[in-house]
Amino acid sequence: MSPWLRQHRFALVAALSTVRKSPGSFLFNVLVVALALTLPFAGLTLLDNVRPLSEQLSVDPEISLFMREDVSRPDAQALLPQIRQIVAQGKGEVMFVPREEALESLKARSSLGGVLETLGENPLPDSYVMKLGGFASAGAAAQVDAITERLRALPGVETVQVDSAWVKRLAALLGILRLALLLLAGTLGIVVIAVVFNTIRLQVLTQKEEISVSQLLGATNDFIHRPFFYTGALLGLCAGGVALGVVALALHPLNGAIAEFARLYGSQFQLMTLGGLEIAGLLAVSAGLGLIGAMLSVRRHLARGR
Amino acid sequence: MIAFQSVSKQYTHGDAQGSYALHDVTLAIGKGELVYLAGPSGAGKSTLMKMVAGVERPTSGKVIVSGHDVGRIKPAGIPFLRRNIGIIFQQQRLLNDRNILANTMLPMLVTGARTAEAEQRARAALDKVGLLDRARAMPLELSGGEQQRVAVARAIVNRPQIILADEPTANLDRVAADKVLDALRSFHAVGVTCVISTHDDYVLERAERVIRLENGQLVGGAA
Repeated sequence: MSPWLRQHRFALVAALSTVRKSPGSFLFNVLVVALALTLPFAGLTLLDNVRPLSEQLSVDPEISLFMREDVSRPDAQALLPQIRQIVAQGKGEVMFVPREEALESLKARSSLGGVLETLGENPLPDSYVMKLGGFASAGAAAQVDAITERLRALPGVETVQVDSAWVKRLAALLGILRLALLLLAGTLGIVVIAVVFNTIRLQVLTQKEEISVSQLLGATNDFIHRPFFYTGALLGLCAGGVALGVVALALHPLNGAIAEFARLYGSQFQLMTLGGLEIAGLLAVSAGLGLIGAMLSVRRHLARGR
Repeated sequence: MIAFQSVSKQYTHGDAQGSYALHDVTLAIGKGELVYLAGPSGAGKSTLMKMVAGVERPTSGKVIVSGHDVGRIKPAGIPFLRRNIGIIFQQQRLLNDRNILANTMLPMLVTGARTAEAEQRARAALDKVGLLDRARAMPLELSGGEQQRVAVARAIVNRPQIILADEPTANLDRVAADKVLDALRSFHAVGVTCVISTHDDYVLERAERVIRLENGQLVGGAA
């Protein structure tokens, strides 16, 4: 083993020894940091679960195309191949709705039957209704807009209505949620750094004599700083583990309530824990935050003491 | 080995200039010499030793240790200078939360030595000061004299070229003091340069060379 590795092993053992000497204090600090980490981790778990759900829920955008009144039935129906071609980018479903059928449907679905009778003639035009199944994701709103423009350019078309606003709203909402989570994570990250900073400050004060003696015996700054870095990273890592555990445990009762709610909508949606890669990433971030707190504290308090 | 060239050390208190801890001191200590630094409290003995160890830097003049100008060594280089110096403090400064063996191993471990090698050398050092059988004892379980001998073992474990001992026999009875001094003389006998500060006449009676300081100034034994 190289001297460099030996010194790191020594620092790790020293950090673990510090933990062993005052496990209660370490545990308390882990809990405080875990508390700060739980909220962003829970938010991240929620977003991670909602993201595929939002894609699934993005309810195939529906486009209604209304022909001009002066366009004959054969001319209107003749547009079908062109419309299919335009919509074929996705898994579109195109349906021609004759004006008579539209009127009957309106009468059946609304309480306007009497009013419509008094009009004498059918005021509704022939139309097409399209469901764009392949454009389900919230991010596909721009593509839906492009299809709409192409449909609008077809001959004899009076208006094209597209209900993709909700898709944009969903995308915006998810964006806001992501940003809010990022801000929350940033703020709580600072809290974590502050807690570790203070923990390490107290340790530096406690080990003042040991530090001073080690310096006189030829210890380098790195040698003296490393155990504190390991302690900070260890604190962050343990707190991250606890926070992830709390989130995983909280999913059980939550899923009970969600299952009941989802059943009403014919869904089997359940919140899942994060994947292995995400968990490893969050643990690394937690350890990193602990390390940053320790580095800031050590640099400040040991530089002052020299 | 150690040379002071017109060295002065003046402490400042805020903007005000304080008194001189050392004033225009010039002296030379050769390789393998055993030198005693004598003088009353406040004479500048500790300041002189701190300068050799790179703890203090001169306000003016040069301090040369093993060919290096201590005043010009960058802070990152000071630990490497100290690895060639064994320091014995008046108050021992053993770490009370670890046993004697671990205390003695520390100077080796800070250099990145293997634990097994550090333990072997620490045991050998404790053996030299007659405390190998107390290796697993905690510092507070030992008498003052024994603690000072542990401090000696810790100072020699790295096989330093220089040993600095600051009042090593203070607060010790004659028997304990003799044991500590005998240990230091045995290292001098194998070529280690030893600088021992003391104001104990009993210790000075047997000294070959004594450097005397008073009020920060050299009054005898410069060369």
